[in-house]
Amino acid sequence: MRIVVDRDKCTGLGMCEAEAPDLFEVQDDGTLKVLDEHPDADQREAAEAAVMSCPTEALTLVED
Amino acid sequence: MSVDTEFIPATSEHKPPHSPIDVSSKAFWTQTSEQRDERFARLRAEDPVSWQRPVEDAVAPDPNDPGYWAVVKHADIGKVSRDSKSFISGQGVQFDMLPPEMLEASQSFLAMDAPRHTLLRKLISVAFTPRQITRLDEQIKVAAREVVDSFAADPSGEIDFVEQCAEPLPVRLFCDMFGIPDRLREQTARAAGDVVSWADPERLGDRSAGEVIMGACLTLHGIAGELTADRRANPTDDLFTNLVQAEVGGEHLTDHDIGAFFVLMSVAGTDTTKHTSSLTVKAMTDFPQQREWLRADYDNRIKTGLEEFVRYASPVMTFRRTAVIETELAGKRVIPGDKVVLFYPSGNRDGDVFAHPERFDLSRDPNPHVGFGGGGAHFCLGNQLAKGALRALFSELLTRIPDFEAGEPDLLGTNFMRGVKRLPFRFTPEK
Repeated sequence: MRIVVDRDKCTGLGMCEAEAPDLFEVQDDGTLKVLDEHPDADQREAAEAAVMSCPTEALTLVED
Repeated sequence: MSVDTEFIPATSEHKPPHSPIDVSSKAFWTQTSEQRDERFARLRAEDPVSWQRPVEDAVAPDPNDPGYWAVVKHADIGKVSRDSKSFISGQGVQFDMLPPEMLEASQSFLAMDAPRHTLLRKLISVAFTPRQITRLDEQIKVAAREVVDSFAADPSGEIDFVEQCAEPLPVRLFCDMFGIPDRLREQTARAAGDVVSWADPERLGDRSAGEVIMGACLTLHGIAGELTADRRANPTDDLFTNLVQAEVGGEHLTDHDIGAFFVLMSVAGTDTTKHTSSLTVKAMTDFPQQREWLRADYDNRIKTGLEEFVRYASPVMTFRRTAVIETELAGKRVIPGDKVVLFYPSGNRDGDVFAHPERFDLSRDPNPHVGFGGGGAHFCLGNQLAKGALRALFSELLTRIPDFEAGEPDLLGTNFMRGVKRLPFRFTPEK
């Protein structure tokens, strides 16, 4: 499982970080940093919640 | 107004007759939200994207206004909100027709599209990221505690909740973030309230809506001007300093840009949270078992609870977009120039998405409400701050004066904000 960010869509609001703080962190300049691009299976639920929470649909989970 | 696109006028071509299920009348917007939802429910079932006559009794009526499409289903609100290529904000976002000079003075990036929207919004969004709000967490808790301190032990056990609790907290947090000195805080709060009160007869008194709105915008621009000048000379760590120092496309913001930014933020940052907390104590009075359920395990239950506070209150009722690309919406042909109005409280009562939408259910999960908008680039910037303030406030209330009862809210008569002017609130005082 891999997290993909569409940088054209991401506005750096941080809804994903609120859902999954271990996976995402918005930097002080407003850009999104993915802390772990290949989350473990036990983080799937948090990762899916983060993807769902994004108001601009900038996140996708790709199965490896 | 967007500087990037040419203005596309509305047209009455290819339109059905105005819907007999009317949501444009002034009388409709003075009803309670429960009464209004009876009509929205009919539209959701019978005509989910309906062609409506122009809003009645507009502040600045346009004789050539042919009407608008009313979007009332949750899925369609999301579709329009997320498709900012087809549905733009640059031709205005208010449902009511307002004077252009008022819009110019108050809307800032709310009524812009990419790329300028993106650039301006980012200047302020960096102050609202989860990490920034976490840094503010202690400050928010102290503010909530002190607001509740001001009345919790009052032996009368009775206050006006809006004046003494719901308003002071967000006003204080907003003023702290912008670095507003104490002497200007009351004036700021009053003017921010006036900006959204254009259709409320009591608030207007003998003044016209235009006078009240423009007066409030001038007041806020004056405050912004004074603080902008000061921060240029004496930079500090508040948001005014950020705005003064910011560069967009290699240029500093003008005083007017900063003023409009400040008007937008003063409304967005104070009014919405005030109404949400007021409507929530009322909901907790009407659904006492929900209050008990939340109290029993506050820290673990407040996350879903907060989303339900916002869904149930739905304080922002309407925003508009303008179509610039021909699109089909629920079988209707929407063409360039058409106004499309999103009715968020209706989306939040959509039975296709929410089981028993009329119930205040703090365990509702998932809760994909549209109280912060239907998604897309204009999604509420301050949602994390709002949730932080509500979390801290209700922690205080439910710990210290859990035995409370809210009376009937006195509602603002507008088609924009589901606002509470006064709310009688009785409680067993803290010892």
